Amino acid sequence: MKLLLVEDNTQLLFDMKEFLNANDFRVETASTLTEAKEKVNMYQYDLLIIDIGLPDGSGFELVKEIKKLKYETGILILTAKDAVGDKVEGLNLGADDYMTKPFHKAELNARIRSILRRNKFNKNDEIIFGDLKIDIAASEVFVKNEKIILTKKEYDLLLYFVQNPNRVITKESIAEYLWGDHADQADNFDFIYNHIKNLRKKISSAGGINYIQAMYGMGYKFSLNQD
Amino acid sequence: MKKRNIRLLVKITFVFIIFAFIAFYSSAVFLTNEADEFINANLESKFNNTEERLKHHISKGREIESLQRYAEIKPLVIIPDTDYYPVFSDTTIYDAELEIERTYKKKTAIINVNGRYYEVTIIRLIEDFMRLREDIFGSLIPAFILLAVSFVIFSYLLSGYYFRPFNKILELMRIYKVGQKSDVKKITTSTLEFNNMQDLFHEMIYRIEGDYKRLKEYTEHMAHEIQTPLTIIRNKTENLISDPSVMDKHSETVKIIYEETNHLSKLGTTLNLLTKIENNEFNKAENVATKNVIEKHLSAVSEILSLKSLSVETELSDEHSIFIDPNLFDVIVKNLLNNAINYTPSNGNIKIQTTNNKLIFRNTGEVLPFQEMKIFERFQRNNSSRNSLGLGLALVKKICDINNLNIEYSYTEKIHSFTIAAS
Repeated sequence: MKLLLVEDNTQLLFDMKEFLNANDFRVETASTLTEAKEKVNMYQYDLLIIDIGLPDGSGFELVKEIKKLKYETGILILTAKDAVGDKVEGLNLGADDYMTKPFHKAELNARIRSILRRNKFNKNDEIIFGDLKIDIAASEVFVKNEKIILTKKEYDLLLYFVQNPNRVITKESIAEYLWGDHADQADNFDFIYNHIKNLRKKISSAGGINYIQAMYGMGYKFSLNQD
Repeated sequence: MKKRNIRLLVKITFVFIIFAFIAFYSSAVFLTNEADEFINANLESKFNNTEERLKHHISKGREIESLQRYAEIKPLVIIPDTDYYPVFSDTTIYDAELEIERTYKKKTAIINVNGRYYEVTIIRLIEDFMRLREDIFGSLIPAFILLAVSFVIFSYLLSGYYFRPFNKILELMRIYKVGQKSDVKKITTSTLEFNNMQDLFHEMIYRIEGDYKRLKEYTEHMAHEIQTPLTIIRNKTENLISDPSVMDKHSETVKIIYEETNHLSKLGTTLNLLTKIENNEFNKAENVATKNVIEKHLSAVSEILSLKSLSVETELSDEHSIFIDPNLFDVIVKNLLNNAINYTPSNGNIKIQTTNNKLIFRNTGEVLPFQEMKIFERFQRNNSSRNSLGLGLALVKKICDINNLNIEYSYTEKIHSFTIAAS
């Protein structure tokens, strides 16, 4: 799948590109509004990731241009966290989702996949990971073909893990993904632990292995290998 | 030394009255002296006149007896010591007709008529003169009192009129707040000093506003600009976290870098939000029905509440609304709720109530470790909570101030309460 990443900070651009490449996306980049407009007019992308604050204009202009061109693509906008109005404006213009800077890369990955799913690709998506099978359309989870019942938060958490396997997902990242604006609660980390404990229990009672490992007291890793 | 505050006009009036008193007193003394001189000169000329006439009559050979009605004349046998004369003295004579003592001036002189000496004693009624002298004092004292009284009254009345622009300027100075949007009104006055003061005040505001604006822009830029580097640092740190060869050795270091970066990033975001609020960037105020917003936030934190075993009681009125930008009201509710969750001990109670134009957040908890009045200051927090930025309540206070809402904190019977009401 082909993405266009529009971001003016070269270091951030490089970082995000590297990360997305590692997650099996083909990534092209643009660091100015003009460059992005050119690329959009020449090539077809499945998803655009657009930073609002660009040196030669607002990313909103690009969103408007895309809508004018009736260009079929997903749009994810990046805004500064404090710019409360930007979120609303972006969604009103037709963006599929927004993320506030600074964001966690794992969450970026999850959001991108969610947009791509919602658009024309992979409508009847199934994610298979070891003995796990997740039916995204029905929000159902199976372990060795046996359905397990998860709460909304447990399901979100599992989906987040499955989309970001084999890397450490920090507690901060999980908190932000699950609770958004209310993520900065002091006791959220205990709460994550609770959810993970329940998730492990539900999977293992259905005969699944323990996919979730605690890492260095900082976060968790979801993988098939059990140390 | 104790400093006393005396009004300027009272001081001026006081000084003026002292000067007026001195002026009146010295002119009274001067006039009295003048009067005395006048009286003496007048009497002198009268006495001399009478003497001349007596000389004339005596030289014409008039009987001395017939002249006795003008003066008492005694022919002298011995030549008197002329150095000793004339002698002046005051005397009183009983007036049988009016039955009162009357005051006279008496002059005893020696006259020489054709080689013969006479002692002449002339008297003159001087009561009229004395009355004139008394009248000087008699008229000056009431005049002085009248002047003093009218000046006091006048200055009292004038202080209202002439000092009105001054008081208005003072009031403007008092209510002036750095960073206020509206221009400071200009008071028209023809008084030079007040105009000077006002001009200086306006110049000062202009400079302060300029500095303040630059400082704010600087803060805003800083808060914004640090976000990108922080994102990069965080991404790089996340890469390290996923690298076992680094983490096996340096997990603690990486953890601290990661946590502090997050803290710094949150700080930047919140400070920037605070600046934007101060800059009045959230100005789409409307009547926000509070019930839905509060319930939405409560459901977002319901899991946290149950994990901490906090019970929540609500008493939300459907009618209660606040005139505010909805984004800002969100910030208020979120922060008050977060504050309550952070500082309520386990098994504690949170109560949210909206009644009679008041929004009240209550939570159980121990007494503050710092002064109550400091609760809305930035970076004022309970030291035990490392996760708190110490900006939440400052943010709430700022929003309330800008939207003419009054927020009060109180602590009674182990319950903290925050009350927001339209002011």
